[in-house]
Amino acid sequence: MAASLELSCWGGGWGLPSVHSESLVVMAYAKFSGAPLKVNVIDNTWRGSRGDVPILTTEDNIVSQPAKILNFLRKQKYNADYELSAKQGADTLAYIALLEEKLLPAVLHTFWVESDNYFTVTKPWFASQIPFPLSLILPGRMSRGALNRILLTRGQPPLYHLREVEAQIYRDAKECLNLLSNRLGTSQFFFGNTPSTLDAYVFGFLAPLYKVRFPKIQLQEHLKQLSNLCRFCDDILSSYFRISLGAFSCVNRYQQQIDFGEVHSHDSTT
Amino acid sequence: MSLVAEAFVSQIAGKVPFIHVGNQVVSELGPIVQFVKAKGHSLSDGLDEVQKAEMKAYMELVNNMLLTAELYLQWCDEATVGEITHARYGSPYPWPLNHILAYQKQWEIKRKMKAIGWGKKTLDQVLEDVDQCCQALSQRLGTQPYFFNKQPTELDALVFGHLYTILTTQLTNDELSEKVKNYSNLLAFCRRIEQHYFEDRGKDRLS
Repeated sequence: MAASLELSCWGGGWGLPSVHSESLVVMAYAKFSGAPLKVNVIDNTWRGSRGDVPILTTEDNIVSQPAKILNFLRKQKYNADYELSAKQGADTLAYIALLEEKLLPAVLHTFWVESDNYFTVTKPWFASQIPFPLSLILPGRMSRGALNRILLTRGQPPLYHLREVEAQIYRDAKECLNLLSNRLGTSQFFFGNTPSTLDAYVFGFLAPLYKVRFPKIQLQEHLKQLSNLCRFCDDILSSYFRISLGAFSCVNRYQQQIDFGEVHSHDSTT
Repeated sequence: MSLVAEAFVSQIAGKVPFIHVGNQVVSELGPIVQFVKAKGHSLSDGLDEVQKAEMKAYMELVNNMLLTAELYLQWCDEATVGEITHARYGSPYPWPLNHILAYQKQWEIKRKMKAIGWGKKTLDQVLEDVDQCCQALSQRLGTQPYFFNKQPTELDALVFGHLYTILTTQLTNDELSEKVKNYSNLLAFCRRIEQHYFEDRGKDRLS
């Protein structure tokens, strides 16, 4: 390989290589396409920017945002979609749009806006990954960004109200999960027997929702009823990330070095 | 049940399109479709579950890419905003309301673009996204008359609405409509629907 590929992203927990959806999408795609990524987990040192993560760095390029990173990897010949037909490629785009429009607002709400979840789980976890005083600022900023995104895309101007949209976004998310479950059926992946971009996106969005332990869990409960989606996540975790389902890593301050195919984590399981 | 569809500009009061049925008013595409379905008319009854999932996914794709690109072009491209959008948006109102409302709407749209990550996109990137979306639609349509073969569905209505608007609206540059025109099956699709369902109206035909 000519260029070395380094990915900066948020770290893992609850059995996942990363708890951040977008980082997870990129990591999954890299595994599926065979791209040799060196993963640098955000930690307590002051290196690099954290707001736009995940970020892919090579010798000459810095690429951010999952869609652009995946495009870049494809141009470097790491293509997980080469077996797909044109129609399947079109379907991929459509389903990704469905995920972003219907599922993402509720996932953002569950992680960043629902106060019980945010204050007891999300904020402490993210704050523990970064040094003081950034740990006081960044989680709040991410939470406001999430709320903004939900309100501006779903709320009604001029006085965007969260209450109006909350019920709607959860309804949409549950419907989206049902649609995904119907579409997946009993197949191993969404298009045949090898995973593709769509599988990376679905995994990235679903796995944190599935695994992270929250106090307020209505969407998680719904997801757990859809056994084929849960099986889909577990299969990818055990085949591509070699994290056994029994080894949950708790919130910790140790750096996790995740090299291609191996996980070293220094912590005790609960 | 007869539907009376009125289109008048009513930015303050409500959202177009809307329908009056008896003394009920329903606005926006999604709720209108649900409402009509509840009254016993649905275009997608013949689809199985997987097809319905696909249909919803493609509708989101159109909303995500085409609609956002249209908004971007109307409100974030300075040339278009200055020459066309401001004047058109403010035209029903007296001065200074026309300017105030137009600027407010522009600010609102720009905020939304920033929230979904389109704030930093250039016009070329937006056009590329439109191209990708049209390519996906074109591949999905293939040589069929409608997206789900013989019968039109909500998806066909949505795609027709957007593509027709793009093709027939005059803007400062024609790049958006050129992108759509690259796909001959999409053009044929629009013409077919226009001829089949709208042949009473003589104005604004596709050239």
